[in-house]
Formats: sequence, structure tokens, C-alpha cells
Amino acid sequence: MIKELNYHRAKTLQEALELLDQLKGDVKVLAAGTDLVVRLKSNMVKENHILDITSIKELKGIYADENELHILPLTTHSEIVESDKAQRYASVLLDACRSVGSPQIRNRGTIGGNVANASPAGDTITALFAQEAKLKLKSKKGERVISVEDFFVGPGRTTLQPNELLVDIFFPKMKENETGFFKKLGQRNALAISVVNVAAKLEKLKEKNKFQRAVVAFGAVAPTIVRGKNIEKALEDSVVDSPEKIRYIAQLAWRVVSPISDVRASLKYRQDMSINLLYEGLLELFNNNWERR
Amino acid sequence: MGDYKYIGKSVPRIDAAEKATGHIKYMSDLSFPDMLWGKIVRSKYPHAKIKNIDTSKAEQLPGVVTVVTWKDVPGLNGFGIVIPDQPVLCEDKVRYIGDAVAAVAAETKEIAEKAAELVEVEYEPLPIVDDPIKAIDENSPKVHESGNIHLHTKIVRGDVEKGFEEADLVVENTYYTGRQEHAFLETESGVAKLEEDGTLSVYAGSQYPQRDQIQLSRCLALNPRKIRVVSYPVGGAFGGKDELTIQPILGLLALKTKRPVKIVLSREESIISYWKRHPMTLKYKTGVKKDGTIVANKAEIYADTGAYGSLGGPVLNLSVEHACGPYRVPNVYIDGYCVYTNNGVAGAFRGFGVPQSTFAMETQMDIIAEKLGIDPVELRKKNALRRGDTAPIGNKLTSSVGTLAVLDGIKETDIWKNRDSLQKSDPKKPWIKRGIGLALTYQGTGLGVGLPDYGGAILKFRGDGGFIVGVGIVDYGQGTGTSYAQIVAEAMKCSIDKVKVILGDTDLTEDSGPTSASRGVYTGGRASVIAADRMMKILKEKAAKILDVDKNDLIAKNGTFVIKNHPETNLTYEQLALELIKKEYHLPQTEGYFLMPVANVKIKDAFGLPHHIFAYSAHLAKVEVNTLTGQTKVTEGAEVVDGGIVVNRQGFEAQVEGGFVQGLGYGLTEDTKIEKGIFKTVNFSTYIIPTAKDTPAKIQTIPVYDPEETGPYEAKGIAETVTGATAPAITNAIHNATGVRIFKIPATSELVYTLLKENEKNENSH
Repeated sequence: MIKELNYHRAKTLQEALELLDQLKGDVKVLAAGTDLVVRLKSNMVKENHILDITSIKELKGIYADENELHILPLTTHSEIVESDKAQRYASVLLDACRSVGSPQIRNRGTIGGNVANASPAGDTITALFAQEAKLKLKSKKGERVISVEDFFVGPGRTTLQPNELLVDIFFPKMKENETGFFKKLGQRNALAISVVNVAAKLEKLKEKNKFQRAVVAFGAVAPTIVRGKNIEKALEDSVVDSPEKIRYIAQLAWRVVSPISDVRASLKYRQDMSINLLYEGLLELFNNNWERR
Repeated sequence: MGDYKYIGKSVPRIDAAEKATGHIKYMSDLSFPDMLWGKIVRSKYPHAKIKNIDTSKAEQLPGVVTVVTWKDVPGLNGFGIVIPDQPVLCEDKVRYIGDAVAAVAAETKEIAEKAAELVEVEYEPLPIVDDPIKAIDENSPKVHESGNIHLHTKIVRGDVEKGFEEADLVVENTYYTGRQEHAFLETESGVAKLEEDGTLSVYAGSQYPQRDQIQLSRCLALNPRKIRVVSYPVGGAFGGKDELTIQPILGLLALKTKRPVKIVLSREESIISYWKRHPMTLKYKTGVKKDGTIVANKAEIYADTGAYGSLGGPVLNLSVEHACGPYRVPNVYIDGYCVYTNNGVAGAFRGFGVPQSTFAMETQMDIIAEKLGIDPVELRKKNALRRGDTAPIGNKLTSSVGTLAVLDGIKETDIWKNRDSLQKSDPKKPWIKRGIGLALTYQGTGLGVGLPDYGGAILKFRGDGGFIVGVGIVDYGQGTGTSYAQIVAEAMKCSIDKVKVILGDTDLTEDSGPTSASRGVYTGGRASVIAADRMMKILKEKAAKILDVDKNDLIAKNGTFVIKNHPETNLTYEQLALELIKKEYHLPQTEGYFLMPVANVKIKDAFGLPHHIFAYSAHLAKVEVNTLTGQTKVTEGAEVVDGGIVVNRQGFEAQVEGGFVQGLGYGLTEDTKIEKGIFKTVNFSTYIIPTAKDTPAKIQTIPVYDPEETGPYEAKGIAETVTGATAPAITNAIHNATGVRIFKIPATSELVYTLLKENEKNENSH
């Protein structure tokens, strides 16, 4: 049974920020409801107000400027999947969006909701780590920009202040010499929550099998999404020219992940899968001459 | 096979349009003026004494009309198809976490839910028993005073020990199967309503309205004639709506409040509260000669029925009956236990105990084929039961036996034809391994010996020259209703549009037994044929009189009687109906009643055994296993099925595909996890049923048949056998792909990965 709540619907960003300021934290923001409604039904929401931002047009859309791609938080997963700009500049994120839930959930759920929800298994978050995304947070009093890595505190917890709203997600456009992947292991091929997911972005050097820069992140294997800096360093410092070498580098995931056992998978399996998914993803790229699909 | 207009053809479902457009009203869609909402208060512990139940706070909540407890049950506070060991509302003890303790009726759903939380129950938790083998131990906590063994069935034939001595190869393994959930779309839902004449109407989707009626009569102390059960339409059942669920509580609340009361279970409450497929532990020992001839088979079977019996006993017995597969086995020892635990409740589920023993036996067969280097089809053919053979449990098979037909049919499947060209590894991704697997099964049709088994149909001639057929059987998705329409249209020589089918209503249909045991088409269909033959005789006589000819000179064709050699003179059914209304003021009605043939022997100490008629099927799966993750993808499936003559070809295809997919879920992902009596997978986020993306794009369906003269147009039934061997076909394919042997289902990615890793370790240490 859903408890009685005070429902507010903001039509503009200004209105939403005003309401957030007044309600002083006793409020849950509704971006689409694919997760919030489930939590409401399970009596897991302690706040007494709902702020519906779904009709704020200024928070929806994808645009590119000279260096960066901006994805506004109310953009749905389906809109990202269908976007040419995302295809070109954010292939890692696009693959992650494609793997979310089902067509219905992708049509409804938004990237901003996925980020603010801060699930340790959130598919788009791992991809945003790999894309080195930044988040713009805005309140009535001002705005700030924070790196996606610094945003998350723990499962469901972020540094978002009670009066703040996520208003922009942006990251460097992927260049021609950049490649990457997103891989997800779930209990089935659709409507699945990640048992483990991994995302990587690699900036290739002219020299074959060498990388200028690597970013690797894992989901569902720690209280928040985590980056594998040791793996990144290894990828940047090696000539990645054989499956054996990839295997060796992938094994460094051991030092990155700290999973738990739950009803979906055991700690041990998640540990091994962090390695194997990264291995599989890198190997597929290697076999494809490091070209992204 | 005769030349038929409808039988064997692809006929669109008669209910397709109303279902596709959403016009059909399921029980959960029903609404009546002045209707209340009911909510059931369920146990907080898997095993506890009830010290006190205080309903006062709940009763004081505005909007609450009544709160009922065991004290309010007017009749026997118990239900259960075999023995009524499950309380409608618990009095002194709860035995599983879903046990019903009290129920509320209130003006709104929200008030009912709130009130349910206000019912105060004082419990004294008791130690639980959650392992069926441990439960047999005398010192284990007792779920029921009578002890934890609900049923023990032992069948011994020949001398297995002698057989094992004679064997060249003995294969011994222990198997484990999961607790599958039916996962029907519509949860247990319905409305009970007291009519002005004092009749209690119970609208709740179920599989046998007439049995619901007598069970409700006993609980509610009400003349069964004063209870009307409407159990159609149903949004899926798969066996999970064979037993009563919410109906006694609905009835109780409606009688008490004298207002309509509705209950719709949430998915979570549905999963926790009601039936599952019995998880089983099966210890197998099989002895064969070098040439593959089976000489002995020993099986110990432990079935976890949970807190109450329901159909657990018969489920165990079917598992026992089919434990050796459709093979000639001279020396047999099967020892089966159906055991009470505090693990929820288990009951009827498509396959009814057979998929469990099939998983074990067909893995044994695959191991034997591999060890002896015999082709898996040839090994099975060598041992296949044929008509006239003695079945493993000792009865002679005198009805249709399709073992060889389905095995020969395998050669027609694309998977088998292409097996030699299968690339065992993906060349681009060598960590992806491919394989194919085969498994064979059979399934008794009907309830078995000693149980009254019959079909009943009522057939009415209508003013427009059409017919209404009423059968107590329920179409919960199989397409039985369409089959009846085809059967009546074929028998009455009229267009299928002229046949209206009424199902599952104690007022409007004949008792035709339960919609279970793959018996719907066979029993209700045969009863419909009998009713139709009677109707044809009557109509012919009446038409002959009107046309003033000898009735033997009349031929029925396209809804018209024509005179032999004088086709220009005829009488349409519609004209006949109008004449009869004018002259006789009424239209004829006939009934068909068909007693199902049963075996002429009984197996000692095994209630219901043996069955007389069986359906047979061979299942094939092609898989890709990702050895990095353990994920199995079924890339193609095939089934060859002998369920007698196919009545509706597209219905056959759909049911085979559905059966395969349900078996795929059973084999790979589906398991209701219960730890210390507490459910861990209560909705479809954690209870993993396959989606369209998890199922193969191609499932080949091939019907074959060995004539079964007793069935309607030689039909038997396919509902269960089509799911029975899919899981072992897949796990045998996993072995074929990877070399890893699966002894436990579901073969989750994690399980397969773990086994692959162990395998690798063992190989490295050699």
C-alpha cells in the first residue's frame, strides 16, 4: 500500500528549485518513477512529499558543443539509444542504455533518475564513469559541477544536497581514436539487474596495441561504482598484444572490487566475473582490431 | 487419420479477439455494487504456535466491516484435494510463512491492508525443519502431529541387486531439482457474492469448479447446490490453481458481511502463499549391459511438499511411476518419500512429479550413452517401451505407445540433421562452446487407476441452427475451448462459428473432472463427441420426419441435411431449429458422459498407479555456453511429440513452444529460494523466468502418433509432456558443449561457471 503523500508538479526548473528549497529534504524527486514507485509500494520511502519534475522541458534533450556531449537528466534511455550523437560520441553509454531493463523501462526511465537513484548496480552509472562524466547540480542559491566519481557516497546515497537538483550530465565527446565497451552480466538477457557490469574507454595511440589513456569502471561489485585505476595504468603502460596479456591485466580487477553475496550471486562469482567480463570485453575489442562496434 | 474439416487444422482461437483486445473480463477485473475488499493476514513465522489473536484494533478502524479468524469458519476448518490438512484460517499453529491466520473485509483496499496490519497475533516460534531428508528423522521438529512423512511409496520388481551384479556398467548419481513457480499472469484473485436467493457465487479462476464447490461446501457448511463456482476465464494456471487458494476465505467474508468481497493477491503474496513444483532429491543407480540394455534401476526420491499435503502424494507417485523413463527395465527398486517441511507449500504443476525424475533418468541415460560410446538415440531405442511391453512398475501397456515414433522423429529435426556440421567453438569467440542434447519423456494422461476419471459435456441445439457445448474443463490458455469447438463442429458437420463453448461454471457446464493431468481434450473432447453423436441421431430423426424420408437416407453436410441421391432437397439446421420451435416449443439437448479407460491392474501400495494412457515426447536443445561467465544460451529447440492426433495444429505448436520455454526456465534459472523458511525470491526481479530474449528464435515442433482409438478422433493430450524433458535436453547439451555434467537444476550461470572452474582445476592437477 502506498502511503499518503503530498504531490507537487513543477513545470519549470525555477519552480522545482523553489519547491526543493521550501521542502527542506522531506521530498523525493520523481523523474520517471520506474524505481521510485516500486519503493513507494514497498513502503521504503520516508519522505512525505513527491516532486514530479517529468514535465520540465528544459531538463530534456541531448546536445553537443565543441568538446562535450550534454545529456540532460530527463532524457530517457530509449532517446539515448536512438540518438546519432550518442552513437558517435558516447558509444559506451549507449550500450549501457541499451542493456537497461526492457523497452517499457527504457521508454520511461531517465538517465538522471538512474544517476540520482545511486544504485550500486546502475548500468548507466558505470558507463558514465568510463565516459568521465561531470554532473551539474543546481539549487536556488547557485550551482556546482562535480565529477561523477565524487558524486556517490554509498548505496542510494550521494552528495546531492536537499535543495539541489541534477540539471546536466556532460562529458568529453569520444574521438575517432577512442574505443570502448560496456558489458553486463545479468541473470537473464532482459529485465535483469546487473550481477556485474563493466565499462571501459580507451584512447588509442598510433602505435598498435598501445593506449594513451584508459578508463575502466565496475558496477555491482562495491557499495558504489568503482574505477579500476590499477587496470587503467596497466593498460596505459603495456603493449596489449595478446589474449594472455589481456588476461593478466584483467586479473587486476581482484584489487578493485569488494562485492557481497546476495540472492542474485555470490561474492566469489562476482569477483571472478569482474575479471572475466573485463577480459571478454577487452578480448572482443582486441579481436576486432580495437575498433568499437 | 480421417479426412476432416477441422480436426488437425490450424484454427484460430475462439477467444483470441476478446483476449487480444482486452475485452475479456478476468475475475480480477470484476466489480459489483457495494463491493468490499478483502485482505488476508498471513503468518510472520515459518513455524510457530499461536498464543493469541487480537482483532480489536483492526475492527475499530473506520471502514472495516469484519475481521474473521478460525472461530468464524462455519464448517471444517480445512481443505486439501486428498486430505483436508490445511486450515482455512489457522487456530493454534502456523506451519509456513504464508499460512492464513485472519482476514479482513473493508470498504477500500487501502483500509483492508491497514486493518490487516492491526491484527495482533502472538506467536511462540518453533524450531523449523527445512530439509526433506532430515525431516524424515524421528527427532526432527514435527510439522504435523502425525509425523513428517506425508506419503511413502515403494515399488520393487525383480531384483535390482542381482541386476547390478549382471551389469557391465553401473552409474550412480544424486540429482537435485528446483522449486519452480507457476508464474501465471493473473495472480489468485476473485470475488464472492451472496445472491438474493441465498446462493453464494464464487468467481475465482481455477481448474475444477465442481471440486471447488464441494471443498467450499465442507468449509462453509453450505449445501453445495447453494454454491455456484465460476472458474473461467483464468489468466493462467499450470497446475497452480488446481487446489483451492483464496476461495474459502472469500466465501467466508461474503457470507459474514453479506456483501460482495474481492481479493486480488499481489505477486509477492502469491509467490509466498501458494503452490510450487516439488523440489526433489533423487538418488539414482542404473545398471546396463555393454550393449546398452538396461538391467536394473534403483531410485530413492525425496519430495519436499512443504507445510501441507494438497496433491503432494499423487505428485510423488507420478514421479515414482515415471522414474525409469519409457524404457524396458526388468529389475526396479523405487523408494519415494513425500515429506512435510516448513518450506512454503508445493502442489500440482504441469508435469506433476515427472519432470524431476525425467531430469535424473535422462541424465543417467546421457552418461551411459557417453560411457558406452553409443548414439543417444540408439541407446534409447534399444530400451524403448513398445505396446504390449510391461512398464517398469509392472503393468502391461495396452494403449498407444509412441516411444519409437518420437525417437524416429528426432531424425527429422534440423538440430539432429545438422549435428555433424555443428562447430563446437565459436571461431571468433573460442570461449563460447556449442553443443546439443537430447532427452525423452512420457506422461500419464488422466488421474490413474482407482480415481474416478470421466468427461462430461452438455450440448444444446440453438435457434440459429448452432450449438452450445458446456464442459466443466477450464481453458486457462491451452486452447481447450477451441478444441471443443472443433470437435463439436466436426461431429455435427457444421461451421465452427456455429459452436459456442461454455467452460468452468458449476451452473452451466457438466462436471468433467479436473483440468489437469493432460486430460482436458481427451475427456471433455470424448464426452463432447458422445453428446454430439446423440444430438446427430435426434436431429436426423426429426429432420427425416419433416422431410418425410428414411433417416438412413439423410446425410449431414455443412450444417444441412441432404437426401442421398436427391441433393436438391435439403433442410438446413437453422430451418430444422425453426420447425422444431414451431412444432415442439423446445430444442433438443443431449449429454455426453465418458468414463476414462483405466489400467486393469493396480500397483500395490501405490495409490493411483498405474496410468493407462501416456503421451510421449523427445526434446532437443542446441546451446552456446559462455565459459567465461557460465551463461547458457539455448539457440535452437525441437520437440517430437506423440499426444495422439493433433486437434488444432497451431494450438499444438504454441503449446509445444510454451512447454519448451517453461522447461528452459526450469532448467536454467527458475528456483524459488527459501532460507530457514523465509522466501528470498518473492517477485520477478529475483525469481527469474525467461523473457523473449532468453528463448530461441526457433523451436521446431513435430507431431507423430501411435493411434489411440479411445480418444476423440484418436487424440490423447500433450499439455505436460511437452515441458517434461526440456531441462535435461538442455543440461545434456551443456555437457556436450563443455564436458561439465549438471546434477542440479536450475543450471544457473554461476553453477555452470563453478563446475567449469572445478573441471579446469581437476584437469590441471592431472
